[in-house]
Amino acid sequence: MRSQLLPLLRNETTKAIRRKLPYFGLLMGGLICVLTHVAMAEIGSADTANAWGYVALSMQLVFADIGLIFILVFAAMLMSDETRSGTIRAALAAPLSRWEFYLAKAATGLLYMVAMSLVCLVLSIMLARVHYGFGAVGDSLGEIYSRKMVLANFLLAWVLSWVPLAAIVFYGLFLSTVVRSSGAAVAVSVGTLYVIEFTKHLVGLDPYIFTRYITYPWQILGQIAQGVAYQWQPEIWKMLGLCGVYGVVAFVGGLILFVRQDLND
Amino acid sequence: MTAPALALEDLCKRFGRIHAVEHLSLEVSPGQMSGFLGPNGAGKSTTLYMIPRLVHPSGGRIRIFGVDLRQDFKQALRSVGVMVEAPAFYEYLSGRKNLQLAARLLGGVQSRDIDEVLERIGLADRQHDKVRTYSQGMKQRLGIGRAVLGKPRLLVLDEPTNGMDPEGTREILGFLQHRVKSDGLTVFISSHLLHEVEEYCETVFVIDKGHLVASGNVRDILKPHERIVRTTFAGQAPDPRMLLADARIKHVESIALDTLEIMLAVDDSAWLNQHLLQAGFRVSAISPRQKTLKEFFLSITGDHRNA
Repeated sequence: MRSQLLPLLRNETTKAIRRKLPYFGLLMGGLICVLTHVAMAEIGSADTANAWGYVALSMQLVFADIGLIFILVFAAMLMSDETRSGTIRAALAAPLSRWEFYLAKAATGLLYMVAMSLVCLVLSIMLARVHYGFGAVGDSLGEIYSRKMVLANFLLAWVLSWVPLAAIVFYGLFLSTVVRSSGAAVAVSVGTLYVIEFTKHLVGLDPYIFTRYITYPWQILGQIAQGVAYQWQPEIWKMLGLCGVYGVVAFVGGLILFVRQDLND
Repeated sequence: MTAPALALEDLCKRFGRIHAVEHLSLEVSPGQMSGFLGPNGAGKSTTLYMIPRLVHPSGGRIRIFGVDLRQDFKQALRSVGVMVEAPAFYEYLSGRKNLQLAARLLGGVQSRDIDEVLERIGLADRQHDKVRTYSQGMKQRLGIGRAVLGKPRLLVLDEPTNGMDPEGTREILGFLQHRVKSDGLTVFISSHLLHEVEEYCETVFVIDKGHLVASGNVRDILKPHERIVRTTFAGQAPDPRMLLADARIKHVESIALDTLEIMLAVDDSAWLNQHLLQAGFRVSAISPRQKTLKEFFLSITGDHRNA
């Protein structure tokens, strides 16, 4: 029997591109990029002394808040919206496995995360080029990091920035499976995120909460852009480990719950 | 021997301490339209939900054309079209787009198949409108269209004509009946509209408190109730109280000025005819009255709640 993953993913994409929320999220992310550009042009900053620094700062600002929220909201609605409206019953009455359905939802969340990241990155690059070039990083004494080396780190930062965001997608999907109303799922996901963010320092849980790494790769790129010493390791391993654990637990937990769920009213 | 289109074997479902369905066994013969009746809360919807595994059975087995759902779920489901409760759609998409999404998951459905279904369900001229602009009846028709899209051999429908006007109901049920006769489709239909089941279904299954309480051919179930005779007089019918003076007449109900329904203690219409003639009444017609499915249903479930 053929896998239903591809048709499911096509369906998910068809649905997503016909809704307003994903575009609104991209628009808001883009707006942050523009505001960062305007603000930095006004006040100037060591962070934005070159294009790399500007992009690093812009991406940090996008994903510290608005971008993160929209990715989380999108993920939190993936399953709960279908459960609330009842469309999940029609979809699952087709010859497909629940794990395929869940996997397609997870893939859709990840696609949106990548789309958000890509749109904001491209916009940041375009805005950065208005004032700066993407050359080597250096100071009055000469070159510190070559263009090639910064570009490699830039690409590494971009790809690594998806790891905590993927954990956010799986967290949203997990709540979307548990909470059967889309409004409640969004409220619970955003609410818990903020409660954790505001209290983790107070109760000493910060080292164990994966959200501390949301902007970490861009912070490293920011350091490189400033020409200061940087170090990916060992912190990056901690990031991968912590985000991996959260992501896997949320993904597997949500999948097990979904496969066992009774989808009556 | 042909495998039943649908076989439920000792099917059970418990929600905590509530036993929604208990040891339910039934077989739906292929190429027939079968009704599934029961009072509210009898376990009808839970049973139907278990067929595509929207609800997981606590015990028992479901076979579709002989294929065990637990052994090959996808293969079994490939020959089934399901519509449970009020059909839900992506309201921000058009009717056609909704069918296209369903078609992708079924595989092998061509664009012309979608055209044909839209034509059949009478939504061809509204196919590009968003579903949010559809009436409840139109959504119901679209739901049936989605269920028949993959050319299933078994169609499971839960209250398929809810919200539809009488004309639309007749059209849809007529369309299904045509598919049963022409393509050998099997339809398992749950409905609270007993006259629908009576008119269109060949067999009926009655469930109450999660148990199957009756099943059989609709004609056998509704065979003339010979103790009740409908009697039409040439002129005005006599006063029922006068007829009740005879102990062999148990109950009399006036149907029209010239018609009475008379329940006899014994099955003897000839005696009744003679008795009425001797009393001076001219009888123009006397016939055993057909029992309605509603009467059968109420006698079985002993319950006057809705079916």
